[in-house]
Amino acid sequence: MTRAVTRFLRTRPYAFALVLLAALLIANIIAQPSFANPSNWPETLAIFAPFAVAALASTPAIMSGGGGIDISIGPLMTVIDMVIVADLLPHGLGSPWIVVPLCLVMGAAVGALNGALVTVLRFQPVVATLCMNFILTGLATQIEGSTTPQGATWWTDDLASSFGPIPGGLIVIVVVLAIWLALSRTAYLRNLYATGGDDATAFSAGVDVTRVRILAYTTGGLFAGIGGLALMAVLREGEAGDATMYTLVALAAVALGGTAFSGKRGSLLGTLCGAGCMYLITNVLSASRVPDTWTDAIYGALLLIAVIFGAGLANATQARTT
Amino acid sequence: MTTISAVSRQLASRHHVADLQRRFPLLQIAALAVLYLVGAATVPGWTTRSTLSSMLVMAAFLGLAGAGQTIVVLGGGIDFSVGAFISAGGVFITELTSVDNWPAWAALLLCLAVAVAGGSLNGLISYRFRIESLVVTLAVGALVTGVLTGWTSGAVSGTPPTWTDSAVSVINDTFGLPVPPIVVIWAVLAVVAGVVLARTRAGRSLYLNGTNPVAAKRALVRTGWTWTAGFVASAVLATFAGILLAGEGGGNLDAGDPYLFQALTAVIVGGTMFGGRGDYWRTVLGALILTVVSYLLEAHNYSTGVQEMVYGLLIMIVVAVYGRERKIRDRV
Repeated sequence: MTRAVTRFLRTRPYAFALVLLAALLIANIIAQPSFANPSNWPETLAIFAPFAVAALASTPAIMSGGGGIDISIGPLMTVIDMVIVADLLPHGLGSPWIVVPLCLVMGAAVGALNGALVTVLRFQPVVATLCMNFILTGLATQIEGSTTPQGATWWTDDLASSFGPIPGGLIVIVVVLAIWLALSRTAYLRNLYATGGDDATAFSAGVDVTRVRILAYTTGGLFAGIGGLALMAVLREGEAGDATMYTLVALAAVALGGTAFSGKRGSLLGTLCGAGCMYLITNVLSASRVPDTWTDAIYGALLLIAVIFGAGLANATQARTT
Repeated sequence: MTTISAVSRQLASRHHVADLQRRFPLLQIAALAVLYLVGAATVPGWTTRSTLSSMLVMAAFLGLAGAGQTIVVLGGGIDFSVGAFISAGGVFITELTSVDNWPAWAALLLCLAVAVAGGSLNGLISYRFRIESLVVTLAVGALVTGVLTGWTSGAVSGTPPTWTDSAVSVINDTFGLPVPPIVVIWAVLAVVAGVVLARTRAGRSLYLNGTNPVAAKRALVRTGWTWTAGFVASAVLATFAGILLAGEGGGNLDAGDPYLFQALTAVIVGGTMFGGRGDYWRTVLGALILTVVSYLLEAHNYSTGVQEMVYGLLIMIVVAVYGRERKIRDRV
């Protein structure tokens, strides 16, 4: 029985996050009965959406293998948030027909640049995106200036609550997943797994590794563009100081969701479960009677345990290389 | 004929320069000299003792914070908990000596114990469960920060001990030398780290493990021990940097946050690359370059935003010159 459970968890890297997610949902509802009330969902989802999308945006780069990682996702979302709040809204450019395409293009362009640095210029991914992290954080600080810019408009307020009966946060997450689903209908996702598994073999088999990797970073950037929108909708201001935090939380969510940082396995659904777990852990801690000042420590301990189980169990199936 | 031989000669000389750069950080030394001269020419008061001294203090913080990261990066890992341990050093020394009235040696001992425990956790978990060090250090960093927040109830009270202040104060001498003690400490650390990395068995094991862990194991390197020792060294050095940093800004829960990426930048700009290429002297150079750049930009009234963008471009230039990966078609 235990062996069957262990094997189930090992062969499905996302399973641990899924089980944990279910347990945390129950814990949340017990600790805070109002959590299950549908009238609270739009708000919950709106707060969850930027974190979830940041984690989803970090996943394709990691799946592309070769040490792939994008640590500029957080700053990219912050810059996009900042551009909307400080540049577009004050100049009367708040129409969704202007803002949304612009955000998507900006996100995808920065992602493509990261991809080009990694593949064409052959930078280490963590180094390439560290450059981008600095440049974007600098840009956000520059736009922010001395005062925190603030702003919102009708449709961003809807995005932070709901469009009619549908929560805005849900739309954001579903759009990201839908884009990924569309990509998975093409050969792209298989090529991405092949590249992530072993780039040299994929290259020998005729996969255009350069293009696959650039596209992976571009997709991540595109998702970050969507995430920037969701972030702006819920914050209604631009705050350059929080950029790194989003990156770090997103990476933890990816690890928890069973995506291997070596690029061999991974899924966006797993990442979503991982992000859900992280969110619910903080939520249940703030709802319980644990003193506020100790929630961070418990969160850290749970994160460590979850990472050991989530990533460690999945890695156990790999052949020992060292 | 002449053109072909000219081209091949040119290629050979370019190859020679790149080779030399790989062995010796020529580019960084030249950049540092040029940047310093630009400062001397354009900024009034640049060459005064107080400016030099405060530059050295800032570089020393960056260099101490980057020392552990250098070791971990050479061993093939990355440590994202550096910031948390820097904060921990400052908070522990401040709280324990001023609020709980511990003697300094006891507080230092506790800092050491915490750093060794945290560093071992980083190393052992990532080695035993084969999880990327980035993820494990991220989680351990969150745990350390959380414990600090809980223990101090979210705010650090008390003042750091006076000796931390005098160790970093720009106007102080060290036994007659016209630099503050932290700079001397940094210089001693650089010499020790240089010798340990290049001349001892432990250092060579680290390089071997970073270059190729499988080959290292076959060559009877105790890879688990080497790997973990690297993370312990990183945590201890970061905590030590944090203790001294308390003298400058007081112990703070987020004092270490900016140093995570800045120290990593110093390592990379110096020219240490993941997996066994580089040494600590390069990080010293990297820290000096970043410091001179930030002073130069500040003197010319550029904002911190511009400063960060310049840091990003600096990494890009250094890595583009010689830190690149092999082409995929060469790896088939």
